Amino acid sequence: MDFTFSREAKALRRMVRTFVEKEVAPIAAEIDREHRVPMEVMRKLGEIGLLGVCFPQEYGGMGAGEEGYCILMEELGRACTSTATNVGAHIGIGAMAIHLDGTDEQKRKYLTPLARGEQFAAFGLTESNAGSDAANISTRAVRDGDNWVVNGGKVYITNGGYADVVTLMAVTDPALGARGGVTAFIVQSDWTGFEVAREEDKMGIRGTSTAELVFDDLRVPHENVLGKVGEGFVTFMKSLDMGRLTLGAACLGGAQAALDWSVEWAKTREQFGTQLAQKQSIQWMIADIATELEALRSLVYRVAWMVDTGQPFTELAAMCKLYGSEVASRAVDLAVQIHGGLGYSRDYPIERAFRDARIAEIFEGTNEIQRIVIASRIFREHGVRISP
Amino acid sequence: MRILVILRRVLDPAGIVAHRRLRRLFINREEYLIQPGDHSALEAALRIKDLGGAEVVVVSGQPEPDDDTVCRGLAMGADGAIYLSGEGFAGADDGVAARLLQAVVDRLGGADLVLVGMTTLDTAQAQLGPRLAGALGWPQIVGAWSVEIVDGRVRAVRRDGDDYVVVETDLPAVVTVPGRALEPRYPDGARLVNVYRGEGGMGEAVLRWDVADLLHPEGLVPLLENRGRDFPPERELGVRVEGTTEEVAQAVAEALRARLRGA
Amino acid sequence: MDASYLDLVMAQQEETFEDAEGGGGVWVVAESAGGEMAPVTLEAIGVARTLAESLGAYVYAALLGDGVRLLAETLYQAGVNGVRVADHQGLSPFSLEPHLGILVDLFAEEPPEVVLLGATEIGGALAPRLAQQLGGGLIEHATTVSLDPTGRTVEAAIPIYGGEYFEVVACPEARPQFLTIEPGAFAGPFLDEYRRGEPTMVEVEPSEPAVRVVGLAEGFRPPEVRLAEASLVVAVGRQAGDPAQVERLAEALKGRLAGDRGAWDAGLIEADQVVDVRGTVVSPDVYLAVGIRGDTFHRAAMEGAAFVVAIHPDREAPIFEKADLCVVAEPGEVVEALLTAIGSAD
Repeated sequence: MDFTFSREAKALRRMVRTFVEKEVAPIAAEIDREHRVPMEVMRKLGEIGLLGVCFPQEYGGMGAGEEGYCILMEELGRACTSTATNVGAHIGIGAMAIHLDGTDEQKRKYLTPLARGEQFAAFGLTESNAGSDAANISTRAVRDGDNWVVNGGKVYITNGGYADVVTLMAVTDPALGARGGVTAFIVQSDWTGFEVAREEDKMGIRGTSTAELVFDDLRVPHENVLGKVGEGFVTFMKSLDMGRLTLGAACLGGAQAALDWSVEWAKTREQFGTQLAQKQSIQWMIADIATELEALRSLVYRVAWMVDTGQPFTELAAMCKLYGSEVASRAVDLAVQIHGGLGYSRDYPIERAFRDARIAEIFEGTNEIQRIVIASRIFREHGVRISP
Repeated sequence: MRILVILRRVLDPAGIVAHRRLRRLFINREEYLIQPGDHSALEAALRIKDLGGAEVVVVSGQPEPDDDTVCRGLAMGADGAIYLSGEGFAGADDGVAARLLQAVVDRLGGADLVLVGMTTLDTAQAQLGPRLAGALGWPQIVGAWSVEIVDGRVRAVRRDGDDYVVVETDLPAVVTVPGRALEPRYPDGARLVNVYRGEGGMGEAVLRWDVADLLHPEGLVPLLENRGRDFPPERELGVRVEGTTEEVAQAVAEALRARLRGA
Repeated sequence: MDASYLDLVMAQQEETFEDAEGGGGVWVVAESAGGEMAPVTLEAIGVARTLAESLGAYVYAALLGDGVRLLAETLYQAGVNGVRVADHQGLSPFSLEPHLGILVDLFAEEPPEVVLLGATEIGGALAPRLAQQLGGGLIEHATTVSLDPTGRTVEAAIPIYGGEYFEVVACPEARPQFLTIEPGAFAGPFLDEYRRGEPTMVEVEPSEPAVRVVGLAEGFRPPEVRLAEASLVVAVGRQAGDPAQVERLAEALKGRLAGDRGAWDAGLIEADQVVDVRGTVVSPDVYLAVGIRGDTFHRAAMEGAAFVVAIHPDREAPIFEKADLCVVAEPGEVVEALLTAIGSAD
């Protein structure tokens, strides 16, 4: 066992950290306040190759694997959950589906500009009547010669308001349901019949776009079917596995930031004549955050290594997401407590981190769904099938 | 046009604490930066390359085997790298470094421009560039805030008292660059991965030279010798300045002057 | 007393100078501007005299420039034993090659044991080239200098990371031993008006400079230093009296203007100038707090400053806990007097 990061990984982390310190951290408060997606940051991330971090170099990527991708998300998560979310939705689920199941031609046409940040991607799964219950979608695609005609809508689509490319899941055979009746498509937002209906006004991650999309006779060429007709559900589940792992990495960054702020504050703040750091109540909080953080770090990078070495990891990715989001929430909660009034003030990043952290327990499959995924894997080994 | 850029590393000051009372230096986190001046110099070289084409070669060396600095240079966009190592390297001072670099230039069959940081972040020494210019017998421009090639000559903006002037000299030349002059670009992601993996032709981009092959042993003997460390006196907070307004102002002005000397 | 007689005696004496143990003397390369000796040159002579005393050697100065001959008087008053003057219109304004050529010739003829220069733009340009050409060692930015008598070696402390600590270095095997002296780090010597001497004029034909000045860099501005990285911060608070005056002070000191949240609330500064854990955290070499009470958030954001001066009317103001120098007074008056004291009164 070797738990040291490679030189390459260290160099990548240094590159990302420098970028984040210069370009992301300084605008984190502003994009939250102004409810704005930092497109300039997204473009710059693309220019220097980071939006292709885990994609092959032949398609404009870096080829740094899941390990590299987790490093990117951890460092982004330390400074700005909104930016981490934009990047995660773009790489981790939007473009990931094309990376996993696209043809060479589709990768050339779509993945390459996505990896370079010339275009942006979103992942179209959730509907008003199907969120965590992903198999119950109702957006319909009907074959018409060389085309498919899509009708329906999606909600809570991260990056939906500005994505150029959406990997979309639609029902192609209602009789077959999730297994065989659902197909993934690559659609372009500039096609007739694609409409952004509204943007959500959210509690946190306010520097992101969460949109409702409506498809009205959206004609999709057959060549834009992603994977095989009827196997969309598999494609999407594989993408979500990746997304859950890297969401865990972003949570790791968020929790690390909460710890860093808290330690710094405990050093600085004095009450009753001694610094907070001397008080056992504070020490325990710090020790608890730090311990959970290290456990999460080990989990995240071990799973990244499993992905990069081709091992199955579905339930472990669910654990990354479940545990990561809970650790991050606990860490920011304790950070608010340690900071007292300052932690509740809008002038300081803790309050934003507190609002931002909550979403991680909800999106990419609620934590309840993650528990079902984990439990069903465990019981399956014991011959018990669980129905959600 | 071949531009040689010298890259040196420096311990990140954020990771060290100089404890005045204990009179000890604590290294809490051993991480290295590229000397800001050298980093800025590489950016200057890459801008010349962007504008008119040039072959940018970075040179670096450490006593222990660690070619991280040259890898950083390559990842930023340098075309080639020379990594100097070997036993004779330990304790090399700027005089030795100048001789080594002179030998590097010779072995490369010449260069048109050498760019190097003006001052080191840690020791504030500014002698490597001028010493190398002296060794090569080339003209030098010290403290160039921007560098360009115009009609086969190097042109730079340099401070002159409170003004900035444009100066020019013939190639080949040595130009030193202040750390704040140019913001270094980010490395290219894919290139960075290839550099560290030695893939995509980047493995061959690094020439590894032993200093023993470049200089006779006597050339490697440094003149500068380290004789220990000293620490400023402990800080005494809360000293009251008393007196008339004028006296107080004088005392404060005096203290400020003492703190700001040379700045 | 007939002064010409004295001159003659001094001049004769100089001809017969011989240094003990084949030294070669301690030399200072003098720097002048606008018809006056640079203060750092006098400071260097002070250092040179101390060294020369221990070495049993003489102190010489090399004075190069255009119309500088009369300045030799000051050098003698400061305590040098001999001055070599190269007076030529090709030596002003300073450019490297003409000066370098003359000094190399001079030092070839009279090889020095130690050479001191100011750690200035000029000294910084000359010293490494001289050291390279003459095979000498060079220590730049010395803040303390002493002599290790074994081997007649000069030891000097140089500041590391801007003075966080110092390294003591020496060039025991090198001759000459070149040093540049940090301006202001050493006291200048007493100028003794009775001390005089006759400088030796050196005939020179300065070479052409290799670097040509094309013209002013119109419109060039160096990249601005961010507040977080500024080396001098002048911070204004609600009790500052006249905020415009504090701004003038910041300008006069070439520092960055900042303030606490109170100053921002009062509209005295912009949001990006707020020093606060919720704003910018600074760690300058010097932090001057004018009329700032110093709440926890402000203090936490400026306690990394190396040297803090606080001016506030209330002696109980918490800012004083973090200040090296505490001035309990109405800031308005003090700042006005301070502007005068630093020579920037309008």
